Amino acid sequence: MIRGRGDDRAPARGRLTRRTLVAAAAAGATAAAVGRLWRGGAALGAAALSRDTAVMAPSYVIRSLDPGHTLEPLGEMICHAAYDALVTLNGEDLSSPRPHVATSWTVTGGGRLYTFTLRRDIRFASGNPLTSADVKWSFERVVNLKSNPAFFLDNVAAVTAPDPYTVVLRLRDPQPSIIPILSNGALGIVDSKAAAAQGADAGPDASSRDHAEGYLNSHSLGSGAYILESHTPNQEVVLVRNPRHWRGAPSIARVVIKNIPEASTQALGLERGDLDIATGLGLANAQTLARVPSVTVKSSLIAASFVMMVNMDPELSGSLANPKIIQAIRYGLDYDGILKIAGPGAVRMAGVIPNDLAGALNPREAVKTDRDRAKALVRESGVASPHGRMNYASDQTSFGIQYPILAQKLQADLAAVGITVDLNGLPGAVALGEYRAAKAPALFGGYVADYPDATDFLVYLPGRLVGKRLRWPATASAAAGELAHWGDQAEQEPDARARVALLQKVQRRLLEIGPYIPLFTPALPWGYRADLRGVTFNSVWGTDFFAVRRT
Amino acid sequence: MNLAVFIGRRVLLLPAMLVGITLLTFVLSHAVPADPVAANLGEQAAANPEVVAAFRHQWGLDRPLPQQYLIYVWRLVHGDMGTSISTHQAVATDLGQDLPATVELAFAAMLVSLAVGIPLGILAGVRRDTVVDQISRGGSLIGVSMPVFWLGLVALVIFYAWLGWAPSAGQLSPRLSRPPAVTNFVVIDALLAGEGDVARDALSHLVLPALVLSAYSIGVLTRMMRGSMLDVLGEDYVRTARAKGLPGLRVTLRHAARNALLPVITIIGLSFGGLLSGAVITETVFAWPGLGSYAFRSATSLDFPAIMGVGIVVASVYVFANLLVDVAYAVADPRIRMG
Repeated sequence: MIRGRGDDRAPARGRLTRRTLVAAAAAGATAAAVGRLWRGGAALGAAALSRDTAVMAPSYVIRSLDPGHTLEPLGEMICHAAYDALVTLNGEDLSSPRPHVATSWTVTGGGRLYTFTLRRDIRFASGNPLTSADVKWSFERVVNLKSNPAFFLDNVAAVTAPDPYTVVLRLRDPQPSIIPILSNGALGIVDSKAAAAQGADAGPDASSRDHAEGYLNSHSLGSGAYILESHTPNQEVVLVRNPRHWRGAPSIARVVIKNIPEASTQALGLERGDLDIATGLGLANAQTLARVPSVTVKSSLIAASFVMMVNMDPELSGSLANPKIIQAIRYGLDYDGILKIAGPGAVRMAGVIPNDLAGALNPREAVKTDRDRAKALVRESGVASPHGRMNYASDQTSFGIQYPILAQKLQADLAAVGITVDLNGLPGAVALGEYRAAKAPALFGGYVADYPDATDFLVYLPGRLVGKRLRWPATASAAAGELAHWGDQAEQEPDARARVALLQKVQRRLLEIGPYIPLFTPALPWGYRADLRGVTFNSVWGTDFFAVRRT
Repeated sequence: MNLAVFIGRRVLLLPAMLVGITLLTFVLSHAVPADPVAANLGEQAAANPEVVAAFRHQWGLDRPLPQQYLIYVWRLVHGDMGTSISTHQAVATDLGQDLPATVELAFAAMLVSLAVGIPLGILAGVRRDTVVDQISRGGSLIGVSMPVFWLGLVALVIFYAWLGWAPSAGQLSPRLSRPPAVTNFVVIDALLAGEGDVARDALSHLVLPALVLSAYSIGVLTRMMRGSMLDVLGEDYVRTARAKGLPGLRVTLRHAARNALLPVITIIGLSFGGLLSGAVITETVFAWPGLGSYAFRSATSLDFPAIMGVGIVVASVYVFANLLVDVAYAVADPRIRMG
C-alpha cells in the first residue's frame, strides 16, 4: 500500500492494536532474554571453577616472558613456572637455596670456581634432554643479550660444560651470592636446540642477532612444571601443566593469570570465588577480606627496604644534606605512625638490609622517635631554618603503600621538629628519571631485592648504584672509601657468619655517615581461596604453582 | 554542494589531518621530562651504559628527534605503525587486539544511551514539570555527576558481589578460553566458532560495564533531548499538526521529536568519540582489555610507538564521528545543504 506523507490516519490514542500487542510481546521477550542471558552468564562466571584450574590476579606488569629479557616480578614468576633453574628456594624461605636442576655444587679456586652436577633425568617439554650445553647456552644468551637480567652474571668470566652433566662457572671475583642469584626465573634453562630454531642466539652479537623474544613471549621452551600456552599482552597468560616434568605433573592443570588492575575488583573476585589467588589487593581490601571465611588473607614480608634518602650535593638538597640535619630527620620521624601507613606485617628496619635476609640489623637497634633530640640536632647544625624539597611518585602504590600518603606523613613529622620539606609529586616515570639522573634532592622509595641475598643491598654504599644517584662517590671522604672497601669484603666473604657480621658493620657505619633514613621492610597483603594448599609468595618469583593443590 | 562531494572533500583532508595528529602526539609525548630507559629498564640495567645503549639502539631512540619522527611517518605511510616497546608486538596488532573490545563496549554503551536517553528526553519534554520530568532530571544529574570509577565499583558490589546477577570483571569468565581470533570482537568470534556458551558469556560480561559507561551520556542526551523538545513543541508546525487533529503520539514522534533530534545528533557523535577515548576508567574497574587500558599502560611506560598509535586511532574516530554527524544532519533534515 502506498501512503502519502499527509496520510496520518492512525489508531485512536489508547486503543490496543495488533501492532501494540506485537511490540509489547517483543519488548517482553527481549527483556526476558536479556535477563536470562545476564543471569545465565553470571551463573557461568560464578560457578565453581574447574577444580584443576587456578586463576590468579597479580600486580600485572609483563615486559617480557623471554628469560633472557625478563626481570619484573610477574615475568620472573612465569619463567619460574616454565623454566627450571640450577637452584631454587623453598616457598617463602629466602635464606637457603637448594638443589634443583643441579643436584650439588662445589666451590674451589679461592671462591671463583663453581662446579655444578646436573640431574640426568630432565627433559624439556619438547622431549629434548636438558644437558650442560643448554645451561652454558642459556647463561651466555643472558649475558650477550645485554638486557635487563644481564647484570646477574656480570661477575661470570666464563661458563664451561666439561661433560653433558657438569657445568662450571668461573667468576672474576669470589661471590657467594651467585648461588641465590641462580634461583631467579630469568636464569631458567632454555632448550637451546628448540630456541635456536626460533631465531635465538647466544653468541657475542646476540643483542642484534637474537630474534626469539617474540616467540618466547607466547611460547615457553623450558622443562618447568608448566608450559606457556598463551599470552595475550596486557590481558592474560595461560599456563598448562607439563606432562613430562621430572618431578611429576603438578596438581593444578591450568593456571590463568589475569590482568585485573583495580584492587577492589580483585577483592570482589576473590570473595566470590572467580579468583583463586590475588596479590594486588591493597591494604584496605585485605583487611575487609580477612573477615571472609572462604578466603585466606596473608601478609608476606618482602625482601625490600623502604628508605628515605637525601642527595649529598647541597646544591640540590640544600640544608638537608647537612649531617646533623640527616641525623635530626632520623630522630624526628614517627616510626609507629609510618608503620601504620605501611600496613600489617611491615616491620621497622634498623639498617638498609630487609629484615628477612641474613645480614639485617635487629629491629631493636633501630632509632627511636625522639623529637627533642631531633630539635637539638637541628640547633647543633647551625642551620636557622632547615629547608628542602622531596620528590615522590604521586601515582605509585607499592605493596599497598600509597606514596602520596607516606610523603605527607614524612613532611608532617619533619615539620614538627622544624625541618620544612616541600613535596614534589611527580608521575612515576618522571620521578624515577630524576632519581636515576641523580637530580632528586631528597626522596623515599623501596628497593626490591633483585635476588635473595643481602649483598644486593650494598647498592646503598658510596660509589655504588644508589650511592651514585645521591652523588655520594666512594671518593667523597676517607670514611666513604673505607665503607666501600668493607662492602667489597662483605660481598666476597665466603663464610656465612663472617659475612653477616661484616654486613652489619657496614650498615652501622652507613647510618653514621650516609644519607639514609631506614623506614621499614614492607609486607605484601594478598589472599587466596581457603580450599587451596601450598600457596606461598616470595619476592623473587612470587608463587610456585607446582606446590599449589586444591583440597 | 552535493553530499558525495562534501564527503569526498572531508576524506581527502584526512591524510593532512593525520600528519598533524602524528606531529602533535610526537611532540607532546616527547615533551614529557622522562626517559623510556627509566620506564623500561630495571635499576641495575639502567646503570649499565652498554645495556642502555643497546636499548636505545633497538628502539631507535639514539637518533635525533626529527629523524625519529620522519622515520615514523615514512613507516606509517607504508602501513607500519611501529613496534610497541612494552608488548614487543606490532602496534597495529596490539590495536587490532584491544580496539575491538573498546568498540564493543562503547557501541553497547551508545545503544543503551540512545535507548534510554532519547525516549526519556522526549517524555520529559512532553510531560514538562511533571513527576516524570523531575525523575528524569534527577536521574540525569546523577548520571552526569557520578564519578564513573565509583559508579562502577558500586555496580560491581551490588550486582556481582551481593545479588550475583552480573558476572565477574573481564571480557570472559576465567575458565573460558577466548575463541579463535577472526575479528577480535569476542562475541562475533565466538559465534563464528560456533561457541554459543562463550558468546553468551561475553555478552553477559558486557552488560554491566556498558550500563556504567552509558550513565554519563544518558544524562547528557536526556537533558539535550528534553530542551530540544521544549523548543520544538512551541513551534507553529507542531500546533498546526495538532490543529489538524493528529494523535498526540504521532505529533510528538513524527513532527516534534524528529526535528528535535537535529541538535542532539551532534552530541551523539561527540559522545561516541568520548565513549571510545574515555572508557579508560570503566576498563580499569571492569578489567576490560581495551584501548583505554592500552593507552594508560603505554603512557606510563613511555611506549612512544604505542602512544602514537593510540593518538592516531582516537583522533581518527573523532574525525570519522564528526563526518557521520554531518552526514546524519543532511539525512535527518533535507533542507540542510553542505557548503
